[in-house]
Amino acid sequence: MNRYSIWVMEYAYVVHQPTSLFIYGAHNQGHRKMPYGYIVIKGPGVVATIDVGYNHTAYGEVLAASYGVENWQPARTVLAELDVAPEDVSRIFITHAHFDHMGALDQYPNATFYIQERELSKWVWAMSLERRFRWLMLGIDPADIMKLVDLARHGRLVCVTGDREDVLPGIDLHAAFDTHTWGSQYVTVRNDVAANSANSWVFAGDLIYSHENLRGADPADPQYVPVGLATGSQFSLIMTSEEMVKHAGGDATHVIPVHEEGLKDLFPSRITKAGLRITELALADGEKSRVR
Amino acid sequence: MPSRSALSPQPSALLDDRTVAYVVESQPPFEDLRQVAAQLAGLLLLGATGSREAAPGHPMLESADALFKTARERIESTRASERTRPHRDSLLCAIAALAEALQAARDLLATPCVGDFDRALIPLRSAYDHLQQATRVLPGFRMVAFEQGCCAGHSSSGSFAAS
Repeated sequence: MNRYSIWVMEYAYVVHQPTSLFIYGAHNQGHRKMPYGYIVIKGPGVVATIDVGYNHTAYGEVLAASYGVENWQPARTVLAELDVAPEDVSRIFITHAHFDHMGALDQYPNATFYIQERELSKWVWAMSLERRFRWLMLGIDPADIMKLVDLARHGRLVCVTGDREDVLPGIDLHAAFDTHTWGSQYVTVRNDVAANSANSWVFAGDLIYSHENLRGADPADPQYVPVGLATGSQFSLIMTSEEMVKHAGGDATHVIPVHEEGLKDLFPSRITKAGLRITELALADGEKSRVR
Repeated sequence: MPSRSALSPQPSALLDDRTVAYVVESQPPFEDLRQVAAQLAGLLLLGATGSREAAPGHPMLESADALFKTARERIESTRASERTRPHRDSLLCAIAALAEALQAARDLLATPCVGDFDRALIPLRSAYDHLQQATRVLPGFRMVAFEQGCCAGHSSSGSFAAS
């Protein structure tokens, strides 16, 4: 029995993304599609998301022309497939501060946001460094920081320090410091709300981009292989991968990377009129399928 | 894929020498102003989240102040042509707004209270808007470097080219 219904909502994509971004060291191994997405969790009296996507008004032209990001759609369009409006979302768990995960903060007027305090404090620290260190703060938009200031002033920003259990019943935040970013976090949903859940999901943010990060290239001889982009260390990414698989009860397919196009081969999904994919991971009692 | 120059509102091939010289000269101080805006936003965030680090002597405030003064001098020393004047005007407006935001941030860190945030945040937003406006009128200026994002690997020109 599921407490929550859970979907992966694609909001844009890159058709030809180099494989080396997904898999550390996979140079000259071609390209693959990279969906951009966020997670929607719908339960009794609550709608939550994990990440929010980016602000197309500010970045759209640059991203489309320079990096091939296609078919961006606003939250209102994406969420309408679930009969949800941005105003209905009350909790948002930000996995990390990159623009494509938290650039659309201002699109959710009634939500409280959860982010690791370390993610913010280390970005702010990086800003104080001299110009030659600027790689450390690439991808950060001053406008996003100003939005965070507003959220904090209005009591809508919760700075989490480390792990936090039951931010909603059965939903936990897990710190993953010095991995993809300084203060990344991943989210687990114990969908039976049991302490030792037999029905758990792990939402990885960018700690993995693909299930290949959890199994390597040879299914007969699996290994963890980190993503191709990290401010922290590959070591921390690998150890966090092990943690996430354990939280998923050993089932790596229940560790969900939003950038994984292969989710469609594991879970029911469909393409919307806007040309974006909805993937359905779980349905609570009484909730209708959005993919059938 | 289009090249980076295709992003420009006006293709660089159409720029005259004076304009190109202006762009080259004003890019570093533009980036410094963007950095000052980010630093101030970061300081305000520390203050708004109740961080104990949000104190008047925070090194980032001094760093922002120093960077701001250097950038202001460099922008003021540029010579604008008819073509580049709107860009320079936007930068000068951003400078005026940042000066106000800097002073307000200094006051805020000395005596934090809720009302003071707007004194810093409003001119800071205005500065950001002017900087963003500047990115629209001439090529070669960007508000965000995307190379750390998920799209990073796609740029055919490589991550160092834009940084």
